[in-house]
Amino acid sequence: MPVLIPILQLFAWTVILLVVMRGTPGFRRYVTIGAGIGFALGVAGVLVISRLLPGDLHLRIIRTALGVSFFFLWAVAVAAIYRSNVRDIPLFRGKRLTDSPLPAFACTIMTGVIAGSIIACRLPGFDGAAVQILAFAPLALTGALLAFAALAGEKALPTSITVTPSALLLTVVALLLFCSSSILRLDLFSPLSMKVMKGIHDFVHQFMESVLIPDHIFIRPEIWGYIGILFGKEVGFWGGMVIWFTPAILIALAIHFEPLPSVAHIRQGAQRRRLLADAIRTRRSRLVIPAVAVVALAAAAYQSSFPSVEYWDPKPLAVTATPAGDILIPKKGEVDLWDGKLHKYLYKQGGKEVRFFVLMTPDGKLTVDLDACAICKPDGYGQTEGTVICYYCKTLIPLDTVGKPGGCNPVPVPFTEREDGVHIEAITLYNSWTRTVQATTRIKENGK
Amino acid sequence: MAETIIETTGLTRSYGDICALKPIDLRIPEGEWLSVMGHSGSGKSTLLNLVGGLDRPSNGSLRVGGEDLLALSEDGLARFRREFVGIIFQQHHLVPYLTALENVMLAQYFHSVPDEAEARSALERVGLGHRLKNRPGELSGGEQQRVCIARAIINSPKLLLGDEPTGNLDHKSTVMVMELLKELRAEERFTIIMVTHNQEVAVWGDRTIYLDDGVLVREEVMRS
Repeated sequence: MPVLIPILQLFAWTVILLVVMRGTPGFRRYVTIGAGIGFALGVAGVLVISRLLPGDLHLRIIRTALGVSFFFLWAVAVAAIYRSNVRDIPLFRGKRLTDSPLPAFACTIMTGVIAGSIIACRLPGFDGAAVQILAFAPLALTGALLAFAALAGEKALPTSITVTPSALLLTVVALLLFCSSSILRLDLFSPLSMKVMKGIHDFVHQFMESVLIPDHIFIRPEIWGYIGILFGKEVGFWGGMVIWFTPAILIALAIHFEPLPSVAHIRQGAQRRRLLADAIRTRRSRLVIPAVAVVALAAAAYQSSFPSVEYWDPKPLAVTATPAGDILIPKKGEVDLWDGKLHKYLYKQGGKEVRFFVLMTPDGKLTVDLDACAICKPDGYGQTEGTVICYYCKTLIPLDTVGKPGGCNPVPVPFTEREDGVHIEAITLYNSWTRTVQATTRIKENGK
Repeated sequence: MAETIIETTGLTRSYGDICALKPIDLRIPEGEWLSVMGHSGSGKSTLLNLVGGLDRPSNGSLRVGGEDLLALSEDGLARFRREFVGIIFQQHHLVPYLTALENVMLAQYFHSVPDEAEARSALERVGLGHRLKNRPGELSGGEQQRVCIARAIINSPKLLLGDEPTGNLDHKSTVMVMELLKELRAEERFTIIMVTHNQEVAVWGDRTIYLDDGVLVREEVMRS
């Protein structure tokens, strides 16, 4: 799998180029050069930024670029469906600008920069301290060479396949999202689903507290069962899917509703029908590219929902409390608490199980947290790529914020660090679990 | 002088050892009505099939409407037949479970898109405005042949081929069909090649060629 993903990403990059070249038939050379330069710049940019500026600035820049592209796609999709139903709207006033190669060249450079930077983030060893510089040069070269390969390959595509400007944008954005979805911190679908879930969660909370539903006691338990459904991650997933796929559907519909040419002035019936048939066929073939985009978006959503990344998720070690109610996690023992990894523990009391973990954060301090947050079902956390991930809502929590309360962060537990190890009060741990975690479980599973 | 629509040079068709059509040179001007006569096995239908793009020659050259049929791929040949040729067969070859109107619309469908109003109008032109909803089994032989004519002309072909179109019809129906073809040709200006055994039918054309054992033996201009 680790080898397959960059290959798939480079394949997606090639498809982007094929589609862009088909969509800008007069400017293929400019597109090729722009793509080659852009890709190399993207790879180099990631290398430079990641080495010069600590942290994940490069990832944040790429994620922002992807997010802006997705918003732009939404705007274009809405405009496309509007225009397909209202005939007399000029598509673009700056025809002289679109007739020149400059916009195609600039847009291809931008696309190349984003694609190159995304694929560069997958390079082995990139997340570690030592960046393998030697791996960057072949990647930049490969991306640039693929631009020239696509120039030759585009000629092999059937001539009947044509691309509308909106479908072109859709496919480029969809394939970039596909490339980014295999990198946890660049994935947009999971955060989108999470935002939908949390938005609905917050809305329901606000609704409950408003005058519309004065108090819970007026609502029958069965109704709470239905309200509870709104708190599930499935709502977030399907809401995310709607937002994810709507631009593609709108653009496909816009193509489907494209008005046919006026043939009333043609006297011969066969010629009239031939023109109509050609227009219908062209319209149909224009749906091929959006279909590719839908497949790419679906693959991105799948990669996001079932990431190929392996999480560090050790089996919880059972711990017990002393008669005085003190749980001791020794510093030196079965595990090394200072290794920067997540260490999970299981404490049982009165038939109930409490899961928690101990972790050393990047600033060198230990933190003890419940293996659950105050919002989601307690599915627990795994650790990967400088973050911990909530298994329920797929939220990524940077390691330096673990130990801070709020949101989907693991619920922090008070503890004392001594010479022999970490001391936790069993009753505090137990109450914390009961108060926060079991409350969320009830909401998710039973409604009230 | 009218432009040449069909031009053959040394056109030959063999089936194994049997030479169905021996090298034949032919020029047909646009808008001409050519009758092809000859006894059974003389190569009439073979010539018609070659000119209509239904078969490929073994040798020689064949240009129809400016297209070199030998150079066309199977798809190209199908497009040529679809857009350039209309054919009327002796056996009608109508789809028995479709109405007269649907049979004509089927030809439109394979050409481009169906248009019921246009198909209806075509059937009215051939005098079948009252038989639109009847199936072929409910029509007489002459009426069926008129449906075939409507089907053949619906896509405005440049070339109309008839392979014994009146072979199954009585004298009255034959005359009716011939009159109809004459009228339509005057309106649409298409070229007609009509294979027939019947001298009565052949005289409707401008020129008649006679084939014997795959060889063009004689030609006769029918009118001044």
